[in-house]
Amino acid sequence: MLQLDSLALVSMGSFLLLFAVTVLAAPRRDRTGAARLELAALLAGTLLAYAAAALPVFLAGWALTVWPSWRGQSRGARLVLAASTVLLAGGAALMSHPPVAFVALAAAVLLRKGIFPFHRATLGAFERMPLPAVGLTLNSHLGGYLLIRFVIPRFPALSAEWLPHLSILALVTSVFMALAALGERQPRRLLGLLWISQGSFILAGLATNSQAGITGALMQWWVVAFAMTGMMSVYASLEARTSSVRSPDEFLGLAAHAPRLGVFFTICGLALVGLPGTLGFVAEDLLFHGALEAHPLLGVALPVATALNAISVLRLLATLFMGRRAIHVPPVPDALPRERLALSLAVGLLIFGGLMPALLIALRTPSAEALTKAISGK
Amino acid sequence: MMETLLLAIVATPGVTFLALGFCWLAGWTPTERFVSRVTAVAFSLLTAGAAWLAWLMFAAGVVSVRISLGEWFRAGGYHFPLALQVDRLSLPMVAITAVLGGLAGSFSVRYVHRDPGFFRFFLLLNLFAFGAITAFTAGSFDLLIGGWELVGVTSVLLIAFFGDRPAPARNAVRVFASYRIADIGILLASFVLHHGGSTLFTPMLPGDWPGQGSRLAAPDALLAGFLLLTAASGKSAQGPFAGWLPRAMEGPTPSSSIFYGAISIHLGAYLLLRFEPVIQSAPPVAWATVIVGALTALTGTASHRVSSDVKTSLAYASMTQVGVIFVEIGLGYPRLALWHIVGHAVVRTLQLLRAPSMLHDYHKMHAAVGGDLRPTGQWMPAVLPMGPRMWLYRFGLEGGFYDAWLDRLVIAPVLRLARALSGRSKDAPA
Repeated sequence: MLQLDSLALVSMGSFLLLFAVTVLAAPRRDRTGAARLELAALLAGTLLAYAAAALPVFLAGWALTVWPSWRGQSRGARLVLAASTVLLAGGAALMSHPPVAFVALAAAVLLRKGIFPFHRATLGAFERMPLPAVGLTLNSHLGGYLLIRFVIPRFPALSAEWLPHLSILALVTSVFMALAALGERQPRRLLGLLWISQGSFILAGLATNSQAGITGALMQWWVVAFAMTGMMSVYASLEARTSSVRSPDEFLGLAAHAPRLGVFFTICGLALVGLPGTLGFVAEDLLFHGALEAHPLLGVALPVATALNAISVLRLLATLFMGRRAIHVPPVPDALPRERLALSLAVGLLIFGGLMPALLIALRTPSAEALTKAISGK
Repeated sequence: MMETLLLAIVATPGVTFLALGFCWLAGWTPTERFVSRVTAVAFSLLTAGAAWLAWLMFAAGVVSVRISLGEWFRAGGYHFPLALQVDRLSLPMVAITAVLGGLAGSFSVRYVHRDPGFFRFFLLLNLFAFGAITAFTAGSFDLLIGGWELVGVTSVLLIAFFGDRPAPARNAVRVFASYRIADIGILLASFVLHHGGSTLFTPMLPGDWPGQGSRLAAPDALLAGFLLLTAASGKSAQGPFAGWLPRAMEGPTPSSSIFYGAISIHLGAYLLLRFEPVIQSAPPVAWATVIVGALTALTGTASHRVSSDVKTSLAYASMTQVGVIFVEIGLGYPRLALWHIVGHAVVRTLQLLRAPSMLHDYHKMHAAVGGDLRPTGQWMPAVLPMGPRMWLYRFGLEGGFYDAWLDRLVIAPVLRLARALSGRSKDAPA
């Protein structure tokens, strides 16, 4: 039923840290009443899914994490959420028919990760849901975990044959979303587009068939999780302080009053797009060089999408924090002590991973080796 | 001893940046005097270290020092080598970074005195020095990319330094976009260099600078050369990337002097000099370097002569000189190019630092020559008729129409596509 190996323990540990960061940094409005129950469900569901040794247990955890996303979503988004769960259940039930089960599980992964053309549900979640809940739902990367824990080990031959095709879809998504982000002005949607674009590299990296690429994908998992959580936490804090940030049509100049929030946002944003000295640089480097051996398209798509995303990150940073403070924007308080602690944890991990990446890579090496062996059939 | 000294030189600005940064994040904002003194000590140590290293190398008759610090990380068959090297190319660059960086820092103490961003300025100055020295002393292409990116990020954050106007923020985004697009070239070049064998400079470029060889196969050299030229053009404001340099003048004058008069602007030329054997082994790349440099130099000089504000004029003058340096590299004169870089960096830093006193300086010079300080270009009416002269004036004023072309042919279609993809045609950014 449950399996607490290195993959599960490392994933659970990092998720607990992510949960602590998210809850500590969350505005009070997102930590009361029903929101608290939803966060607890997300924690329980994700930990259960990480510890699952069998697909039905994983399905239970997955379903538990879908529940908080259900409220307030559009009909289309609910359809995607329901479809991903049904496909996962179908795949679990049809394990004796490998091709069918593989297709169902792979489709569940694509839906969960918001891969094009299923990205609208993810964007909807960013637009409508409280950001702490969105962050925990998406940054658990249960779609990627499903691939690593169940799909690749159970169907190595099918994975070796079909993962490259899925990864092309992921790369198209990445560039497509990065381009769309250039034209987006609403911060919540922009954050959603950045999450999908940078998160797509996890799926693409898993298909590189090289240990460097797969390790890069697992590092990218942490980069997206912690950098996006940092950015989303800062944005949620600003949104709780002033509604002017929801749809800014000019530079808001918030750095004058909230310089520390600005710095946390800058570091997380630049880490997301591979700033040297952060874990993002390491993940990008590994993904990039991993692609050399098996997947040259990734080698071209990665720098293009990352460059476009970097422009979007700086544009959002400039809109929120730079320029003269607009007249209609009240002076907002800077990071509170609990926010400072939470964001320091996220930034600390990103910088620690950037300066001493070997320690974090060692935590993921057993999983990367096992996946490389499974895909290459050695 | 030389190895330890080299490590200390690279570490000094990095440690200063981290120490000041953590103090601030922990809630303590040091006083102006403390920050400026710490920075002055760091740059003094850097200068002394560079001078000492140069002396040790000279005394021992050594032309290059190389250190292998093992690997930073490894995954399967791939590892990121941590290697540093200092030779006749990188040592002068490290020296001018230390000396001119310290000089700019010392000017800045008064320039940004009581500015709310005083601490931020010095923090970024230290990070910039760390990035630049890492790039110059990198023994592998991967490490060079790390330093290269840090220089780019600090440059952009300093362009957006003054928060009381929207223009710095807008221009910072534009400059960052130019950097990132050009940097695709350096990342793809890394891809090609890995394919060619190793990204460590020692096996890739055997021998000592400037007489190094290249072990890259001809097709790899051609492709890598063009990609490196793209990246170098982006960083040094050459060819189609020239438009960002005048925009970068929004930053504080001391940072403009060190970035766009001295170090950052020459980083692209340094990259080409480091890979000069690769460029010379691929003649089309060498000729492209000459053409890009020459065209930019002509445009730069036309714009420099008609610019109405001193910083923009000096920016175009920098662009012109770097264009000439590109020509020298393309023609195969690496020593001349290095001397040109050092000389240009020193003169331009002085000019930019003195820019706020330009009128005063002009009046002094005017008086010194007895009121007979004639403007340049008086021969023009005798050589060129009115029509071409007006066109040339307009050409210079518009910065060679680079930005207009870029806006029309690249940015507008990309933004149209982006707006269509995001489904947000009404509220898309300008």
